[in-house]
Amino acid sequence: MVPLENYLALSAIVFALGVYGVLARRNAVMILMSVELMLNAVNINFVAFAAYLDPDRIVGAIFAVFIITVAAAEVGLALAIVIRLFRNRATANVDEAATMKW
Amino acid sequence: MGAEQAWVLAAIPAGVFLVLALFGRALPRGGDYLGVAAIASSFALFFVVLADFLDTPGKLGPVVNDIEWSSIGDTFDLRMGIFIDPITIVMFAVVVTVALMVNIFSIGYMKGEPRYHWFFAVLQLFAASMLMLVMADNLLLLYISWELVGVCSFLLIGFYWEKRSATEAAKKAFVTTRIGDVGLLIGIILLWKEGGTFNIQELIHLAEEGHFSQPYLFTALAFIFLGCMGKSAQVPFHVWLPDAMEGPTPVSALIHAATMVVAGVYLTARLLPMFEVADGMLLTVTIVGLITALLTGFMALAQTDIKKVLAYSTVGQLGFMFIALGAGEPAVAMFHLMTHAFFKALLFLGAGSVIIGTHHNQEMDRLGGLWRKMPITGTTFLIGSLALAGLPPLAGFWSKDEIFVVLEHRWGAWAVILLGISAVTTAFYTTRLFIRTFMGRPADPHVYEHARETPPVMTGPLVFLALLALTSGFVVFHDVGKALGFPGGITEFIFLPHHGPHEYELKWGFAAASLAMAVVGIFSAAWMYWGNDLRRSTALANWQPGIYDMLRRKFYFDELYQGMIDRGVLGFSYLVSWFDRYVVNDTGVDGSAQITGFTGGVLKYLQTGRVPNYAMAVALGVIGLAIAGLVVRG
Repeated sequence: MVPLENYLALSAIVFALGVYGVLARRNAVMILMSVELMLNAVNINFVAFAAYLDPDRIVGAIFAVFIITVAAAEVGLALAIVIRLFRNRATANVDEAATMKW
Repeated sequence: MGAEQAWVLAAIPAGVFLVLALFGRALPRGGDYLGVAAIASSFALFFVVLADFLDTPGKLGPVVNDIEWSSIGDTFDLRMGIFIDPITIVMFAVVVTVALMVNIFSIGYMKGEPRYHWFFAVLQLFAASMLMLVMADNLLLLYISWELVGVCSFLLIGFYWEKRSATEAAKKAFVTTRIGDVGLLIGIILLWKEGGTFNIQELIHLAEEGHFSQPYLFTALAFIFLGCMGKSAQVPFHVWLPDAMEGPTPVSALIHAATMVVAGVYLTARLLPMFEVADGMLLTVTIVGLITALLTGFMALAQTDIKKVLAYSTVGQLGFMFIALGAGEPAVAMFHLMTHAFFKALLFLGAGSVIIGTHHNQEMDRLGGLWRKMPITGTTFLIGSLALAGLPPLAGFWSKDEIFVVLEHRWGAWAVILLGISAVTTAFYTTRLFIRTFMGRPADPHVYEHARETPPVMTGPLVFLALLALTSGFVVFHDVGKALGFPGGITEFIFLPHHGPHEYELKWGFAAASLAMAVVGIFSAAWMYWGNDLRRSTALANWQPGIYDMLRRKFYFDELYQGMIDRGVLGFSYLVSWFDRYVVNDTGVDGSAQITGFTGGVLKYLQTGRVPNYAMAVALGVIGLAIAGLVVRG
């Protein structure tokens, strides 16, 4: 059986990729995709821990399902915002949308 | 009904006050008949109480009736009740008699005035509070009544509140007596703290047993006496009483001559056994009384307002009462209190009759010769004046004479000589007042022409009070007292138990001296003002303008107080306002706002509006927290 540490390492790598994407990308859609990576890294953790530590109960798996649901809703909302942004500014570059400040 | 139910005397006017205050406006004639009926029933019930009191088996022992008012646990038990002894009986007699006369007189005097029903309502509240005050068996109930009569005084002085001078006078009276009242409250608290009770008789008992240390007792009593001085307008608190004449004249007669202002005398008489235990307290009382009697005797000399002359005279006569108390003789003080209440109420009501008869004139400079126009008022006023001047056989002579006797007995001749000067000035200004109002040439023919006698509802009380002013002095005699049911005149009726009764005897030397003082005052005033001719007095005033000005402006007391307020109070207020403006407002309030604003001005640059910056901050923050967690947990 694959040891738990491998799952955790995979999760950490995916999460770091996601963070890098959020910080480095300038396109709003790409940032959203990176956020999805981070969420899925968390899902991996949940499922791995659920399988290894408490296999009789599926609490961790249920949490993963919830996160997928919430992430879907979040993406739906966020994409709507991005579309509004694109309609107004003709760009999805987040650096250009910098009017909400002092 | 017996003496134990004497509280009914106060309950009746209190109930009528509520009725008049709430529904008086709707009642025909403002419900004045209800007010008169309430006082009349208290007057009638007083005689029931008196008869029962005289029949009490303990023979003039005090009647006590108290109830538990509130208690906290087992340690604190507050009882309230009534206590009736001869002092209370005398106060009852004075209050119900004068209040009844004043209520009847007011029907004529206040006719057609605005807020007629309210006037009668407050008169009832006053009568109720005053009766409660004199029968309270503990200092707390007494203090409550004390403040209630003060409020009534305030309301009635400021009755014509459309007049600025009236509201100013009401405020002055309230603030001045308040200063004394704070002293009274402090004194009560001090006595309670050490004695553990508010009950007057228990406190007296404790003091006589030496429960209180000398300096402590002196301090507590000095504070209480401060309250008495404020209420009874003794120097230096006397300034409010002359200004209180802004109120309707019946009020001046009832509250500011006969009853409320003697509350201080009453309280001192009530606590006199304690005053005697405290070294130096009686001398203090005597000196305050002497200074007051002397100064106000001179102040009254140069006043031209009838009521102001009477007001200063009242203050002076209150000084006489305190002198009697300072000599340790409550009986004499209560005797003078009673006779003074009758003849001074008579004089004030007479002044009210003059004011109505001459269509609101009370300046002597515009009066004169009124006796011919107002025979009843003039005659009764003459009786009152002679009683005040101390001419035998009128009431004032007997009580004033007694004061001289006890003063000499206790403090010696020096005090008698000082008081004698005051007696001479009293006779002088009283005669001046009478001549310039009722005799000689009318100063203002127009006023004289339109003057007329007042209706019977006003002259009736005058005649009744004149009879009392003529005769009430005789109760001092043993045989008269016996005939009235008192065992042996007023001086034996009222005495402190450990003093024992002393039988009244006329000391011819004092009587002659007292008579001589009255005669000197009366004749010198008559020589000066006869025929309402002011040439001699004007010449005298022009000869020494400085002294005249000093008398006319009452020894500059008002100017002194105004100066103290301007420099002291306003100076301190200026300091406080500076502190408020520059420290509290500019530094405290504005300063913290400026700090917040400045910090915000700097920190606002962190808000770039760029989402990646925020995301970076979040990521760095999480990393930072993770590192910190590792470091902390090792």
